[in-house]
Amino acid sequence: MDNPQLSFEQILNATVRMLRTTWNAKVCLFLQKDDQGELCVRAADGLSSKKTSSVKLDPAQGDIGECFSKNKIVETSAFTAFGALSPLIKRHAKKGYKFVLVPVSGETRVLGILFFGPFPNKEKILPREAELRSAGALCAVLSAHWRLYQWMSNFVPQLNHELRTPLTAVQGSIGMVLGGMFGQVGGDVKEMLEMAQKGCERTVRAIEDYINTQNPR
Amino acid sequence: MVKVLVAEDDPDIQVILKMVLTRLGKCDVSITFQGDQVFPMAKANHPELILLDVMLPEMSGFEICKLLKADPETQSVPIIFLTARSMPAEIQEAMTLGALGYLAKPFDPMALVGQINQILSPLGISIGA
Repeated sequence: MDNPQLSFEQILNATVRMLRTTWNAKVCLFLQKDDQGELCVRAADGLSSKKTSSVKLDPAQGDIGECFSKNKIVETSAFTAFGALSPLIKRHAKKGYKFVLVPVSGETRVLGILFFGPFPNKEKILPREAELRSAGALCAVLSAHWRLYQWMSNFVPQLNHELRTPLTAVQGSIGMVLGGMFGQVGGDVKEMLEMAQKGCERTVRAIEDYINTQNPR
Repeated sequence: MVKVLVAEDDPDIQVILKMVLTRLGKCDVSITFQGDQVFPMAKANHPELILLDVMLPEMSGFEICKLLKADPETQSVPIIFLTARSMPAEIQEAMTLGALGYLAKPFDPMALVGQINQILSPLGISIGA
């Protein structure tokens, strides 16, 4: 990659563009199941992302359901059956043409769909199933990587917070006792408290080292 | 006696802060654990210093800081974040919003007054005197 600052969104869009041009299609969309269980457009080429950003499709309906639920490549000319997507692909949906739906499969489940087209009806797409599934797998890997990155972005600050808060109470209490706020402590008690304080400091340093080495990109 | 408003939702840390600021800082301390109480308390009590946590119920410390800095009555009150959210981006956001300083948890209670005074020094205010 020339530019390490490319976002995953840009990488996914570039991948979808590459797939569209490789397959000589006018439209290529990567639809991914979101947390609400609907399919939304994660990356698009050939259609404006402004228009596709609000598209939500039911992964159980019609040809989409056939592809998503059965992990099956589907060819379709039912252009009006794609809900909010149908008006957007209208100008490409001509008689004698079809779109191809390819399942984007992870290790254990289907994560989404690659939506390609239009292709002339006579063009034989299904014999190239292995190529299509590889394209789907590429999107699945990128998608999984993106999800991991998002998870890490939230997890690291959260972990930092969740560890530091109880440590504040522990270290604070020990610090006040050792500092003499409640009278002088000495002997074994002091030694034990200093040991506990060092343990806290070591934990804080470990958290800081961990955060400083985190670079999920 | 400097009037300090503390916004902190952890009850154990509340105890520590109250003790340190009262005994060592010689401050008049009022504490709230609820984010949305900070702005009305600041308007009513006129604190001379606000110590803000970031993660608070109802309203985040960043949102509170924005509110305080937007109101002519409270905009000059120095705000110091005292928080476990210590990622570089979070520190930068706090300073951009107009905070005077940022102290990360866990803190050494015996050094806290000194650290606060160091942050307050450009304003000629100090606690613990």
